[in-house]
Amino acid sequence: MATVPRTWIGKDVQRLEDPRLLTGRANYTDDVRLPGMAHAAVLRSPQAHARIVRIDTSRARALPGVFAVITGDDAKELSNPLPAFCAEPVVQYALAVDKVRYAGEAVAAVAAVDRYTAEDTVELIDVEYAPLPVLTDPIEAMKPGAPKVHDNLPSNLVFEKTLSFGDVAGGFASADRVIRRRLRWHRASAQPLETAGAVCRYNPASGRMDVWSNTNMINYVGWLVANTLKVATSKLNINPMDVGGSFGSKHVLGKVIAIAGMLARRSGRAVKFMEDRVDNLTACENLACDRFYDVELAVGADGTFTGLRIKVVDDYGAYFQFGHGTHGNALAQATGPYRIPGFEYTVQCVLTNKCQQGVFRGAGSDANNFAIERLVDAAAQELGLDRVEIRRRNFIAPDAFPFKMPAGNIYDSGDYPKVLDQALTMAGWNELRKMQAEARAQGRFVGIGLATAQQRSVYGPTEFWFWYDAAGLTSVPESVGLSLGPTGEFIVTMFSPFWGNSPETVVAQSVAEEFGVDPATVTVTYEDSLHGLPSAGPGGSRMTVMLTGAVVGASRKLKEKMARIAAHLLEAAPEDIVFGASGASVRGAPDKAVGYPDIGLKAYWFKLDLPAGMESGLEARHTYDHPYLTMPSADRKDLGAFYPMMGHGAHIPVVEVNPETGQVRILRYVAVHDVGTIVNPKSLRGQIAGGITQGIGMALYEQCLYDADGQPLTASFMDYLLPTAQEVPRIEIGHVETPSPFTEYGVKGGGEGGRMIAPAALASAVEDALAPLGVTIDELPMTPERLATLIEAARAGGRASLAR
Amino acid sequence: MKPPRFEYAAPHKTDEAVALLSQHGDRAKVLAGGQSLVPLLNFRLARPEVLVDVNRVAELAYVRPLESGVAIGALTRQHTVERADVIRARLPIVAAACRLIGHLPIRHRGTIGGSLAHADPASELPAVMVALEAELTVTRRGSRRTLPAEQFFTGMLTTALAPDELLTEVRVPGLPPRTGSAFIEIARRAGDFALVGIAALVTLDDGGRVTRARLALCGAGPMPVRAREAERVLVGERPDGRVLDEAAEKIAAATDPPSDIHASAAFRKKLARHLGRQAIELAVRRAGGGS
Amino acid sequence: MKRSVSVISLTVSGVRHEVAVEPRRLLVDCLRDDLGLTGTHIGCEHGVCGTCTVLVDGESVRSCLMLAVQADGATITTVEGLATDGALDPLQQAFREAQGLQCGFCTPGMLLLAWELLRDHPSPSEAEIREAISANLCRCTGYQGIVDAVQLAAERHAVAAGAAR
Repeated sequence: MATVPRTWIGKDVQRLEDPRLLTGRANYTDDVRLPGMAHAAVLRSPQAHARIVRIDTSRARALPGVFAVITGDDAKELSNPLPAFCAEPVVQYALAVDKVRYAGEAVAAVAAVDRYTAEDTVELIDVEYAPLPVLTDPIEAMKPGAPKVHDNLPSNLVFEKTLSFGDVAGGFASADRVIRRRLRWHRASAQPLETAGAVCRYNPASGRMDVWSNTNMINYVGWLVANTLKVATSKLNINPMDVGGSFGSKHVLGKVIAIAGMLARRSGRAVKFMEDRVDNLTACENLACDRFYDVELAVGADGTFTGLRIKVVDDYGAYFQFGHGTHGNALAQATGPYRIPGFEYTVQCVLTNKCQQGVFRGAGSDANNFAIERLVDAAAQELGLDRVEIRRRNFIAPDAFPFKMPAGNIYDSGDYPKVLDQALTMAGWNELRKMQAEARAQGRFVGIGLATAQQRSVYGPTEFWFWYDAAGLTSVPESVGLSLGPTGEFIVTMFSPFWGNSPETVVAQSVAEEFGVDPATVTVTYEDSLHGLPSAGPGGSRMTVMLTGAVVGASRKLKEKMARIAAHLLEAAPEDIVFGASGASVRGAPDKAVGYPDIGLKAYWFKLDLPAGMESGLEARHTYDHPYLTMPSADRKDLGAFYPMMGHGAHIPVVEVNPETGQVRILRYVAVHDVGTIVNPKSLRGQIAGGITQGIGMALYEQCLYDADGQPLTASFMDYLLPTAQEVPRIEIGHVETPSPFTEYGVKGGGEGGRMIAPAALASAVEDALAPLGVTIDELPMTPERLATLIEAARAGGRASLAR
Repeated sequence: MKPPRFEYAAPHKTDEAVALLSQHGDRAKVLAGGQSLVPLLNFRLARPEVLVDVNRVAELAYVRPLESGVAIGALTRQHTVERADVIRARLPIVAAACRLIGHLPIRHRGTIGGSLAHADPASELPAVMVALEAELTVTRRGSRRTLPAEQFFTGMLTTALAPDELLTEVRVPGLPPRTGSAFIEIARRAGDFALVGIAALVTLDDGGRVTRARLALCGAGPMPVRAREAERVLVGERPDGRVLDEAAEKIAAATDPPSDIHASAAFRKKLARHLGRQAIELAVRRAGGGS
Repeated sequence: MKRSVSVISLTVSGVRHEVAVEPRRLLVDCLRDDLGLTGTHIGCEHGVCGTCTVLVDGESVRSCLMLAVQADGATITTVEGLATDGALDPLQQAFREAQGLQCGFCTPGMLLLAWELLRDHPSPSEAEIREAISANLCRCTGYQGIVDAVQLAAERHAVAAGAAR
């Protein structure tokens, strides 16, 4: 499908967001200053599992400059449990009530004259704990009779389910071979450079709570926050801020908002709580999935995939906040880009004494991509087939779209062979293989990785509840307001915050496309939760699709009114009015024109010049709902379309492994992405490079570790390792565009693909590098010691080199 | 993460500084570059009652050539040491080690004296000074003493400094002719603390035999590890593959490394063997030898 | 312990300030809260991420690792000192064109590192650029846009070699 040539969509428009960011004049949460504002600090539990016997805050309260001290007892009075996207009664308060369940859990909080004093105050709170047995191994925690993380739950196995689609048994019975792998995907953490925070101000006379926070879903589930804060929804206002990165970690932020809110109530002052880095590493909502996979791929002798079984144990930590949404993510594309007729997915969600999972870019489909691609590489190796060919053989054909995958989700469009071919060409696959052979002859361990994988976008909320029998919410809209002011300026109002993606630029380019104006002339503003329209905000790579849809919808409405005004002024028919860079004109008679300023002026100030019966003003609002969401069937054999804007990518990294030190050097990295029509190529490349860099982190550097007592061992940036510019190569990025048939302009989301595919690709590359030793890669991250140990074991085992 | 309260003094002269240390004893801690101490203060892992900030004691910042070696004032910034002509000419290993300390903004503030006095087992300069057999001058009110670097480091994050003493100078003797040196390390990321690092200095005679060898490691134990047995293996020999392998074995045997989340003790030993061999080879080549 | 406060004098981006601070007050907090210059950000407070980078007497430092009292008498440049009356300076313009930023949180620190690099090394190689900017973390861009921005700025001589600030 060829891409339609457009004027502004597809251009490298300079970002509207940049000037304030570049000059240090953005408005991040920690930049908020209110009169009399107090600062909060939090006392955190040193114990991973313990009863709280006694808390004595008397010394803390006596310190000068302290305005309020609260504990779990106050949390029970002043707040409700935090929102959780699950049906199980896993109760979490912002401050631990009766019991602490992870090391780092908040036990008390203070508001003081400044952050220094607040931290002094926290040290004066005395807590007596009665330790309980600590559970850090989900396999142990699952066993009957294990100590319970939550006394009100029957066990730590908080959820388990098997979903089966298509004829799985038949697919396995007819296979010539079953490829099996056991895989480990360690827990990582989103770690944006800006931590989570909130400023809250409470007015007891009016009952109004004002919040400034880098939280996301302010116009979607603001009512959940109101419920947590025990204020009426109509009395809660959340102000959107500039956000210094999120990657999924700032969706709700119930904890920081509740702590600031409760302290605001108690102290009578505005209170700011900014997490510090230790708070963010140990106690936030930014931890990713922590999985043990047992996976099987049924294959024919010719390499055809006939069935797939995925069994996964996921260590959720102490609470079940985001539920199994990360497994819904996996289901959306569980079979990858391949024609697998049936698959089974068994998930066991386990609670342990660690901080709870949130979501991190990729949100569970990253781990699933890793699992499938290991199986595919293994199938090629065991069957003696070429890794490229086995993928080609099983790809869903370009003429098969929209494609319904076995679980019922739709893949809207795609051309997987084209993406693969482009990647192979860019990488110079055959030259790489030659170079590898020469390197191997010198005794060097050079590897070429390949991953062909999906990158879903635009989630449907059904993925949070189709695991259950009862139905849940089905709305996940995004809205914009669009106005033409009395001086002819276009203003777009958004109802979700800026996260570091480029929403202002996307909407400006859409307005530009619809009207013909230069995007630099468009102004974008944000609206708070009391004045906002339903908008779920960034997440699941949805914003490009949802914002363009909302802008197009609002533009249609606005154009309809503007056309009537222009037609009235130009004495023409509204259907003959066209819009361009400077205003409206009559089709075929460009000299019969009226500029945008005049249209705006008339609309706002010259009522008697308007068509009869027309209201003054020129503003349209549009709520764009998910363009393709369908209900799951009652028997859950068909989950409906819930993540249908399906992008795809092929990654080819080239690595060299030092066999003595286990260090991996990335020599080259080629990535070709297809995310439908591209709105802003430079922006997209930035998202891809950033995502791949986080994927490199996942593959080689990042893991959250705990000791046997549940103590976090990666509680600072000295231990949780984010890649720097020297760990990341220049990434060669290519594009294919197969537009979506379901969205405006044919766009799809592309913000997560880099992190969703790179770990799988790098695992493939390192395994390829170590193929002469017969090493298989089953665990991420591939730290130097893990690799050195595998290499040493392989050498000691005297395994013969494998022909590749 | 904000520091706890402390009393603060910022003397301008060495005499004033040591007088303060004498007055406050173990209630006081010296603040030099702050690149190690301020994080500890921010984490509230360090809680000195008195902070004696020596950054304004300008007379302690200098790099002076001696007859063959160099004298470096304790307050000299790592970046200054790295770029000093006389260091590059006479002690390139010191410049090489400084280059690996963190990143430039850290080296702009971090001092040579601060790094040595902090004695982090993974840091580069203590190992280099042990390998160079540097002499450290320690000053207290009314007197001063000098001790060899190896005696200065007494344990993990522990030195021979008494609470009322200030490290004021590092004297590094010159190197004999035909000495090649190398400092290399393995770290998880660029600029990180070394998992293991090694300073190697090898002197050759005209026949290509080793007449002198000095080997010291960081990250290999609670203090810098001087690998004397490995040095003995090298002396008198032409450093061929067999000799290098044996020296590398001795290096690994000399280590007593820690285990942490980045590397186990066993892995560090393995890295020490691997790096040791590389460092010696490199030093030999730079001495004008090698096959 | 008595709470002591001293008055320090800082010249920040050409403007002289006098402010009373406790000895333990970090320079970054003094800049942000006492002087209202919120362009310098806090990322980790233990000297790893470099988000708080400013220039002190012309040298890049992590302002979370300096006490404000240590900067008494110093000349400091923060990101606010780059643009004039809101007009982006050539280095900022290069960052804009090359998309060397996404969320903007690391950007002030990166700009100052880049400024210092180009002042001292007007024609850096890509490896030299990566080495310089590896002092600071970015979680959004994957560094590619930042490297491109510095290369673009170098081509345009966006920073005068040896420039004073």
